Amino acid sequence: MDYVFYLFLSSGLFLGWSLGASDASNIFGTAVGTKMIKFRTAAIISSIFIIIGAVVAGSGASETLGELGSVNALAGAFMVALAAAVTIYIMVDFSIPVSTSQAIVGAIIGWNLYSGKETDFSVLSKIVSTWVICPILAGLIAVIVFLIVRTFLKKSKIHLIQLDFYTRIGLILAGAFGAYALGANNIANVMGVFAPSSPFADVDFKLFSLNSVQVLFLIGAIAISVGVFTYSHKVIHTIGKGIMSMSPIVALIVVFSQALVLFLFSSEGLRDFLLSHNLPALPLVPVSSTQAVIGAILGIGILKGGKGIKWSITGKIALGWILTPTLATILCFVSLFFLENVFNLKVYS
Amino acid sequence: MFGTKISLFGNSKSLEKKIDLFHDNIIDVTMIFKKAIKVFLSEQRSESYKKLSGQIKQVEHDADTLRRDIENNLYSRNLIPDLRGDVLQLVENLDKVVNKFDEVTYKFYVERPDIPAEYHIRLTELCSQVAECVENMVIASRAFFRNFNVVRDYAQKVYFIESETDITSGKLRESIFDSELPLANKLQISSFVSVVADIADIAEDCIDELLIFAIKRDI
Repeated sequence: MDYVFYLFLSSGLFLGWSLGASDASNIFGTAVGTKMIKFRTAAIISSIFIIIGAVVAGSGASETLGELGSVNALAGAFMVALAAAVTIYIMVDFSIPVSTSQAIVGAIIGWNLYSGKETDFSVLSKIVSTWVICPILAGLIAVIVFLIVRTFLKKSKIHLIQLDFYTRIGLILAGAFGAYALGANNIANVMGVFAPSSPFADVDFKLFSLNSVQVLFLIGAIAISVGVFTYSHKVIHTIGKGIMSMSPIVALIVVFSQALVLFLFSSEGLRDFLLSHNLPALPLVPVSSTQAVIGAILGIGILKGGKGIKWSITGKIALGWILTPTLATILCFVSLFFLENVFNLKVYS
Repeated sequence: MFGTKISLFGNSKSLEKKIDLFHDNIIDVTMIFKKAIKVFLSEQRSESYKKLSGQIKQVEHDADTLRRDIENNLYSRNLIPDLRGDVLQLVENLDKVVNKFDEVTYKFYVERPDIPAEYHIRLTELCSQVAECVENMVIASRAFFRNFNVVRDYAQKVYFIESETDITSGKLRESIFDSELPLANKLQISSFVSVVADIADIAEDCIDELLIFAIKRDI
């Protein structure tokens, strides 16, 4: 059983690896690209905090994915993750900004359709609404933070050299926060579908213990970290040049805004706090760090008068919104058919 | 890692001090220059003038050392990657001003121009205007590092004073060529007026670029 589980888990690990390779650039891309931080430093910080975020706070967003479709057979989970990974590969190949969350949601719907399980449209609409809310919220946060930082800098009269030092520290802290939020929010994309079939026993480390799903998330987070170390440097050197050129301080604001948005969509503590005070809370849903970054950059770009923004990228985002889930749904549905009828595997129960 | 951060902070502070010191040098050179020209006009190439000229040479040398230090620091420690090129250009431009002061005082020292007393007041006024122009350039440059919003205000002052130096040097040249002095003497004095006024022109060029750098400095 264990051997088979690891074999099927490979698609999830591949998805995790690709997430690490592509999304780590959203956290440290500009900092490394502008040579404010060394790649090695960025990779180590990302890996540590992605793992902490995934293990400590990964369950919130994972539950919502489970509500959308609880993939109850291992072969089915394998194909859902593989369909999402292949979709991401295809979209990246066409240079369309891709969201791992949209791909996994599309693939789950594909599984629902194939297995005849009903898709909970209230959950689906909750998830889809976040695809729009996420970049808008990131843009708004970025604009507010940008205005505060600019006013502060004008009044504080910090020396340029000193400011450079503080910016580096800020980029490291925001990057760590971003990595934590990415781990917490996006681990559901990578390992969420395997959670119902997790064979791991609880592990007690004396000081703390991990339950079965947390062990699964730990493995997924390590896969993400491997992606960060082995492939993200290639993506990192191109990020930041895509939409508009940024100063290191703007890069810091973008990373912070993105991290905050991902945190808002994954923090159970914050949700419980808001609900207990009768305040509206955001759903705990895996959202796209790429789209959050794009939203933040566009927000600041618009605030600056819109000059220097490559608007064609927004068209590509809209295209991505439609293409990514659609393609993942179709791919998953067709592949499940093959898996069940050609390989005689049980893809749902 | 914490130790590294503290040392990085210490290095930043030390570079900050060097940049401040570099600006101090330019202010020093303007003061010494004003004094040196006054001394030259009253005592010609006296020991006092020699001493002042030597001081300017020393400041110029110190400024060169600081400039190299600042440039090395910026590149070897990979500081302010986005604005490094601009800071480098700014420091080079400021250094050109210091070099010009040195060149002019040395020219006085070597050529010993015979400037009639009737032109002394206007020449002293020109030197004061040039010095004031450079002082405002230095304030604008300092502001670029700490408070870039006021760069424009000081840049405006530099532009105004530079145009005043053009007027003063123009009038001075007119009166020289209207005089009964021998042509060789007229040409020599006129060339001195030109090199002194050139310092303000260099300051103006420096400010032109500084204004662009200040726009880029905004986040």
